[in-house]
Amino acid sequence: MKVNGSAVLHAPRERVWAALQDPAVLVRTIPGCQQLEQVGPDSYRATVMAGVASIKGTYSGDVRLSDQAEPDSFMLHASGAGAPGTVSADVRVTLAGADDGTTRLDYDADAVVGGAIGGVGQRMLAGVAKKTAGEFFSAVDDVLTGRAELAPAVPAAVGPAGTPAAAPAVYTAPPRQRQAVPVGVVLAAVVVGALIALAGVVVGRLIAS
Amino acid sequence: MGEPVARREDPRLLSGQGRFLDDLGHGALAVAFVRSPHAHAKVVDIDVTGALDVDGLVAIYTYDDLAGPLAEPLPQLIPHPTLTHSRTPYALARDEVNHVGEAVVMVVAADRYLAEDACDRIRVDYDVLPPVVGIEAARAASRLVHDDVPGNIAATMVQENGDAAAAIGVAPHVLELDFAVERSASTPLEGRGVYARWDAADASLRVYSSTQASTSVRAALAAKLGLPPNRVEVVAPDVGGGFGVKIVHPWPEEVLVSWAAITLDREVKWVEDRREHFIASAHERGQAHRVRVGFDDDGRLHGLEVTFWHDNGAYTPYGIVVPIVTATQLLGPYKPGGYRVEFQSLYTNTVQVTPYRGAGRPQGCFVMERVMDAIAAELGLDRADVRERNFIRPDEMPYDHGLIFQDGRPLIYDSGDYPAGLQKLKKLVGWDEFESYRAQARAEGRRVGIGIACYVEGTGVGPYEGGWVKVETDGSVLVATGLTTQGQGHQTAFAQVAADILGVPLERVTVITGDTRRFGYAVGTFASRAMVMSGNAIAAAARTVREKALRIAGESLEADPRDLEIVGGVVQVRGVPTASIPLSTVAVLSNPLRYAFDAESARATQFAMPADPDKPPVADGDSPGLEATGFYSPPRATFANGMHAAVVETDPETAEIRILRYCVVHDCGTLVNPRIVEGQVHGGVAQGVGGALYERMAYDSDGQLLNASFMDFLMPYSTEVPTIETDHLETPSPLNPLGIKGAGEAGVIPGMAVLASAISDAEGFTVTRMPISPSELFHLRRSHEEGTSR
Amino acid sequence: MTEGHQVALTVNGVPRAAHVPARRLLSDFLRHDLGLTGTHVGCEHGVCGACTVLVDGRPVRSCLLFAVSVDGASVTTVEGCCEPDGSLGPVQQAFWDCHGLQCGFCTPGFVTTITAYLEENPEPTEDEAREAIAGNLCRCTGYQNIVASVLRAADLRRGVGA
Repeated sequence: MKVNGSAVLHAPRERVWAALQDPAVLVRTIPGCQQLEQVGPDSYRATVMAGVASIKGTYSGDVRLSDQAEPDSFMLHASGAGAPGTVSADVRVTLAGADDGTTRLDYDADAVVGGAIGGVGQRMLAGVAKKTAGEFFSAVDDVLTGRAELAPAVPAAVGPAGTPAAAPAVYTAPPRQRQAVPVGVVLAAVVVGALIALAGVVVGRLIAS
Repeated sequence: MGEPVARREDPRLLSGQGRFLDDLGHGALAVAFVRSPHAHAKVVDIDVTGALDVDGLVAIYTYDDLAGPLAEPLPQLIPHPTLTHSRTPYALARDEVNHVGEAVVMVVAADRYLAEDACDRIRVDYDVLPPVVGIEAARAASRLVHDDVPGNIAATMVQENGDAAAAIGVAPHVLELDFAVERSASTPLEGRGVYARWDAADASLRVYSSTQASTSVRAALAAKLGLPPNRVEVVAPDVGGGFGVKIVHPWPEEVLVSWAAITLDREVKWVEDRREHFIASAHERGQAHRVRVGFDDDGRLHGLEVTFWHDNGAYTPYGIVVPIVTATQLLGPYKPGGYRVEFQSLYTNTVQVTPYRGAGRPQGCFVMERVMDAIAAELGLDRADVRERNFIRPDEMPYDHGLIFQDGRPLIYDSGDYPAGLQKLKKLVGWDEFESYRAQARAEGRRVGIGIACYVEGTGVGPYEGGWVKVETDGSVLVATGLTTQGQGHQTAFAQVAADILGVPLERVTVITGDTRRFGYAVGTFASRAMVMSGNAIAAAARTVREKALRIAGESLEADPRDLEIVGGVVQVRGVPTASIPLSTVAVLSNPLRYAFDAESARATQFAMPADPDKPPVADGDSPGLEATGFYSPPRATFANGMHAAVVETDPETAEIRILRYCVVHDCGTLVNPRIVEGQVHGGVAQGVGGALYERMAYDSDGQLLNASFMDFLMPYSTEVPTIETDHLETPSPLNPLGIKGAGEAGVIPGMAVLASAISDAEGFTVTRMPISPSELFHLRRSHEEGTSR
Repeated sequence: MTEGHQVALTVNGVPRAAHVPARRLLSDFLRHDLGLTGTHVGCEHGVCGACTVLVDGRPVRSCLLFAVSVDGASVTTVEGCCEPDGSLGPVQQAFWDCHGLQCGFCTPGFVTTITAYLEENPEPTEDEAREAIAGNLCRCTGYQNIVASVLRAADLRRGVGA
């Protein structure tokens, strides 16, 4: 299944990078994201929850990077599993700065969906994925343009090797209202959307380094 | 048998306890489709984004979601060597749509309201192409429906017997005539519906479908879904009418709903609405004919050449059965001399054409009967006399026409007494006294006419049907057959057959039809075949059960089975009612038991019965239980026949048409339940009236169906159907033990012919196109008065 | 599915209630929310009459009414045309006696229509009987035996020929 799209973020690349670098931003803007943990260089683990009414599901996703051609593009490989199924995706992300001080981000994902959620139909799946990605970028944009308030998120645990001095390794999102999206589909689509969003984290790191 | 018994199924249906498709599957997910609004277009893009916000949306499918056999076109049900360019649809449109109504996107949601909400928000981009609409446009072929079908021709077929051209060449009189019939459709009051249940733990699928062919649906679904046939069961519940449209299978919806149930692991149900039925099921009747006929001074046919063009719509899933039926059944009860028929089956960008009650016969009958009237008019002879002179005589039976029928077998009429039927009809309608009635009417300023039409109907086509009969240990009788029921009273009529042979009270017999769990080998209900086929199969099974019962009873009563009879469910020695044993006990004894479970069954246990120590409890070749299966597979079809007469009045000013009398004489061989048969005839006559005066599918040049609702597609109400007077003839069929011929389609076949005949008689000019409305009649009058038409 | 209206009414003499969206048709309400599947839907545009039920004794097309619009009313469906002990009422019995149904799909609409009609016109002539049912479509029977059923139902109601 192919999902592609783009987003314009209303800030120059440095600020975009900073926002995408900030786990406090990410854990709130990635739809359904509950927890974000760095587990190695260029490697992250996300816990995302989504659901409608009383039907919720939790799933875990892993992300790793490759083919980094900074600062223009890179590949992101993601996989996630949850009760309703599995997703694995290869996402190509490209960044371009514009003269008016905005940044344009393009993503092109090739995803394989397995299990029950694979049964809702490719176009619906792709549609929800794009929508979710759109929600993520829109939420990030709200942060960048000051439309969204941002209170610090709560560090949930000590980082690896028990050193509190390291950058916070796990962040937990406060409870938030989840917009109604079809049952089951969300779980898969959000993985893809979230993984695309995670790419933003990586982007930020790339730009920073 | 032979009794007009009240129907067993009625109390349930009358008190609202019917189980039609939509009455089932209360908790199932609902399905709706996005269907093409264009008659011919490429599908460019499908954007579902707008639908994603709909609460309760579960899934959206397009062709891209289908794989394997599901992604291949639906099957060609009836291949034929001359059907060189068969085309069937994909379950969901792949790149192209070929008629308004073709399914493009399937939506599954919590209920139908929400599913339709989602459908409304799905945007499909089309590249609209110019459509081909109507037989003329299809023939002209300046545009094609399918790019790879030259001339829009699906099939060209010729059949002939003798040398028609030569005969016509030397005949004393020759006429060349053109005729046309417009499209109509079955339109049962209940549309189609499918409800699928998947049992993941068991990997088995059960599908309920409002179908006429549950066994064949099972086979098709198993193939499409890649399931072993023994893991698929299909059940036809109560079905609210079929009339042919529900014989087509598998519908895209049958395949897709079943697949969705498996994919989502949820119960899924689809019930079509009326508009969907008009634009996504099937139509029939549209044909154009050209005839050349050679005859002598007495009106006897010497040669008949028929060329016709059949509009088969966008696809041909049912092959060319309809035009083959037209081509062969056009002959009716007559000897044509030399006969040659040629037809082309043509594609148009309209709904596909598959059988509707009559299945091509009404068109053929219309043509032949107009020809008969034309011959009579040409020679100044009585129309009934001309027909009579051309009849096949009873002593000429069986009569071989030298053609191949729709079942692939020779067209040989088995029996029939057409002259006797005509006599009955003339008497019933008062044919010989009509002129004085006409004179009287004319004196009153009224315009009346009388018409007549004869037909022959090949019924009971094979390959076979089967029946299973079992006497239970409580004396009740179970009967099962695989074909289906849509109101023909099978639960009663088949019970009558079994009850009659077994000697049990009718109330103790229960009949199950159309359920692959109960009987797995079947063909379906169509071509007026159910009683002929299943009736005889059930009779065969019942006879076997009876024989076995008498044998076992004979052993128990120490009597010769030939001296035994079964009365009211009790086997007794003829003339000695005290020497008796109930069938229930015989059923117990037929199954030697080790373990008893009640007092009655104790009689069958090893110490309760005397046993021959050298013989096994179940003899070689025998089986336990009082049950048997029987099959009936005839060498060819059996031919019923009938003739109708009608008296009409046309208004001299407004050209409105009123049917004053409608008379039917028909012969379907032995009658099992005369009341049910008569009901079938009545229903058919109403459809015949509809097809003659009211029903047509109004397609515009863009391929839009303008009257896709009951508001504008006119079906007769009670006020449009006259009182129907019937009389019967019974010439049993020599082809089956019960002597039965079919009756299901009898009423509709000559409807257009007889009313055209009567209207023509009233007006003094011939009607050659049906249906005819008052305004069409008005204009026809005008053009005749002005001398501008033949 | 949270927005909706509470509908409370009497159906076949029994108080029933449900919470339904404003756009829920009465036919769907009866069939799916109340489980009374005897009323059938043949066209959903008010022409065929299969969905006919009685609202306060008058025949209406339930496919053309919203459930919310009959709040507080008294509705009779084909199920309610039976006798209290569950046996067939006179109209139903007449249909059985006269072979007035084949597939049975249109029949509930005829039963309710005729039930209401005979209340107003207990002794119709044959022509009147034919007119009375001229708003209901049947594809199976050709109407002959339905007309006969109307006349027989009239007889049974009057205690004749039972």
